[in-house]
Amino acid sequence: MSDWIAIGALAVVGIGIPLGMMGVSALLRPSVPEQGKRTIYESGEVPTGSAHIRFNIQYYMVALLFLVFDIETVLLFPWVVIYRPALNAGVPMARLLLPMLAFVGILTVGLVWAWRNGAVEWMSSPRAMRRKTERNQP
Amino acid sequence: MVAPEYYLLLAAAVFCIGLFGVLTRREALYFLMSVELMLNAANINFVAFSAYYGDLTGQVFSLFVIALAAAEVAIGIGIILVLYRNFGVTDVTVPRGMRW
Amino acid sequence: MSVQQPSTVEPLAALPAQTGAAPLPEWTALGPVLALVAAGLLLLLWDTVFPNRRTNTELSVIAAVGSLAALALSGWYLAAGTGRPATGGAITLFAEAITIDGLALFFTAIVASVTTLVVVASRDYLTDHETPGEFYSLVVLAAAGMALLASASSLATIFVALEMVSLPSYALVAYLKENRGSVEAGLKYFLVGAVSSAIFVFGISLVYAATGSLLLSDVAAAFGDLGDLAGVAGVGVVMMIAGFAFKTASVPVHFWAPEVYEGAPAPVSAFLSSASKAAGFAVAFRVFTEAFHLGGEVTAVGIDWALVFAVLAVVTMTLGNFAAAVQTEVKRMLAYSSIGHAGYALIGLAAISAGGSHNGAVMGASMAHLFVYGFMNTGAFLFIAMVERWGVGRTFEDYAGLGTVAPMASVAMTVFMFSLAGLPPFGGFFSKYFLFAGAVFNGFWWLAAVGALNSVLSLYYYSRVVKAIWIEDPTDALAAVDSRPTALYGAVIVAAVATVVVLPGFGPVIETAEAAATALFG
Repeated sequence: MSDWIAIGALAVVGIGIPLGMMGVSALLRPSVPEQGKRTIYESGEVPTGSAHIRFNIQYYMVALLFLVFDIETVLLFPWVVIYRPALNAGVPMARLLLPMLAFVGILTVGLVWAWRNGAVEWMSSPRAMRRKTERNQP
Repeated sequence: MVAPEYYLLLAAAVFCIGLFGVLTRREALYFLMSVELMLNAANINFVAFSAYYGDLTGQVFSLFVIALAAAEVAIGIGIILVLYRNFGVTDVTVPRGMRW
Repeated sequence: MSVQQPSTVEPLAALPAQTGAAPLPEWTALGPVLALVAAGLLLLLWDTVFPNRRTNTELSVIAAVGSLAALALSGWYLAAGTGRPATGGAITLFAEAITIDGLALFFTAIVASVTTLVVVASRDYLTDHETPGEFYSLVVLAAAGMALLASASSLATIFVALEMVSLPSYALVAYLKENRGSVEAGLKYFLVGAVSSAIFVFGISLVYAATGSLLLSDVAAAFGDLGDLAGVAGVGVVMMIAGFAFKTASVPVHFWAPEVYEGAPAPVSAFLSSASKAAGFAVAFRVFTEAFHLGGEVTAVGIDWALVFAVLAVVTMTLGNFAAAVQTEVKRMLAYSSIGHAGYALIGLAAISAGGSHNGAVMGASMAHLFVYGFMNTGAFLFIAMVERWGVGRTFEDYAGLGTVAPMASVAMTVFMFSLAGLPPFGGFFSKYFLFAGAVFNGFWWLAAVGALNSVLSLYYYSRVVKAIWIEDPTDALAAVDSRPTALYGAVIVAAVATVVVLPGFGPVIETAEAAATALFG
């Protein structure tokens, strides 16, 4: 049970320190409400427009293609773990490499298809450009 | 070592939070996050009992679940995108062209 | 991801031995799945090499060749007795994660034939589309997932294959991006599907927690002695039932089906309601007979799943048939009838009992029903695809007089309707007859009675379509019927011929199905 006491004490301290700091500073600091404190800090520049802009949908395509590689890595991990011991145990290399190559090959077919069909072409949309410049006018 | 019942309880709690989100939220993106919680509840079980039984299958399978969850989100966001283009909202209760 | 076990010698004999040649290597048992995967990748490559050509016909031909190859391979293996007990038993690959036996090959044949019909028909349905490449490859890859689902024998491969079917299906349902109905259907399918697969995988995790293995055979062994974790396993089994109910569109997760089948492009509705449903039943049959077998500890766990399925079967078929009877749109009526047929097929899981003498017969009859249903239901949805392409309306009234302008297709539709209702001269009658007879022999006469009553009710709404087509007077809307889409026409006719040809050829079908099912109980 002693393990649990340690974890509980850690939790109490972890929650207590930030709460205590916020409480003490709330008691000590003078209260000067002012509009300038609420604006977004942009390295001293006066911020223009809203932070809640809609992102270009083409970021989604890039994110999706990144996901392919991301997931590929996750699924390759178990293969990597087993590669060296299996090789040492005398399993032929082709038998170890071919499944992984087939896996990557299938993903490559999909990636090439997406590439060829324009998933990564950054299309410039005149309408979006116009709206962006309009929004940035004061 | 923590007794396995605690993991079961934790996983069940996470699963129920996800299910609650699925049932109450109308926003499609919250729905995706809630489903993700439900899948990760299953992952907790897989990893915990993989360690408990000393069997690697569960851990490897949880990697598969993560991969499939990512794929599911990719498809889901695509569908939410065409939903927004056609209906102008991402509220899943708005499309009512057909009787439920 | 594990290293393959060195292949043993004796299963090799289970593969079809060519005369004078050595038996095929073991991995060729996966041939049908590999053919579908190769076709899907070839479609993507073809689309990559010629992206700007109007390649609709070529893509359709590639997809059809791939699925026909899968059909031919599975038919050949079935005929040669691959995976049967007589030829050395089921072939297991990848450390038992995949099992090729009669059940797997039978359902692969169903999926491959439905896929062939769908991709051929899609050639004419998609003539107006710019980029049909992804459509065909999604259909073929989803079919590969279904074939894999039928042969998966580990909960891990089952879940991966299930998602391989689901993810392309979501995209296919929402394929008409500009069509609000299609997008709405895709959204609803995705919402329900994502939640059910999450529930399903949580169920798997609980079963894993209780048994410590994902292999069906190990799970079955561990179910003999669960101890304290019996309750956990029981909850897991119930959650997995919810996942299967989604895939097969049966109660309690049936409510997506009418929306999705109505909103989706009609060939996709045909694909989902025939092939996807069959694949769902394939994996349910395997999991519940191999892993959670009756007569073991499962009843001690507190879940008599055959009773659960009996209740679900009765509710599903009654609800589906009653709702279908009050519809005004033909496609939506077919969607509810699809739920009703899921109820009939569930009898294959419901009317079995531990040590029952006709377990194999009733499950085999259910498989045979799904086989016949694959043709007649696909044909009916493809007829609707043709009507959609002509631009004739969707309601029963709009179908009035179609027989005068498109007699061949209307004859085919009549065959489908009467066969779905289970009238004697067509394939649907035999499969239902064997199904109900098997249930009666196994002591579940009340299931058979409910099924028969539902069939009588279904005759009412199926005959409404026939009445509209042949008896009612044509309306002005039929002026839109101007073209004869060759491929779509051909697919409908082939489906009709198959529904009729099953009549003399039903013996081999039911024998194969019963042999495959009996092997599961062995």
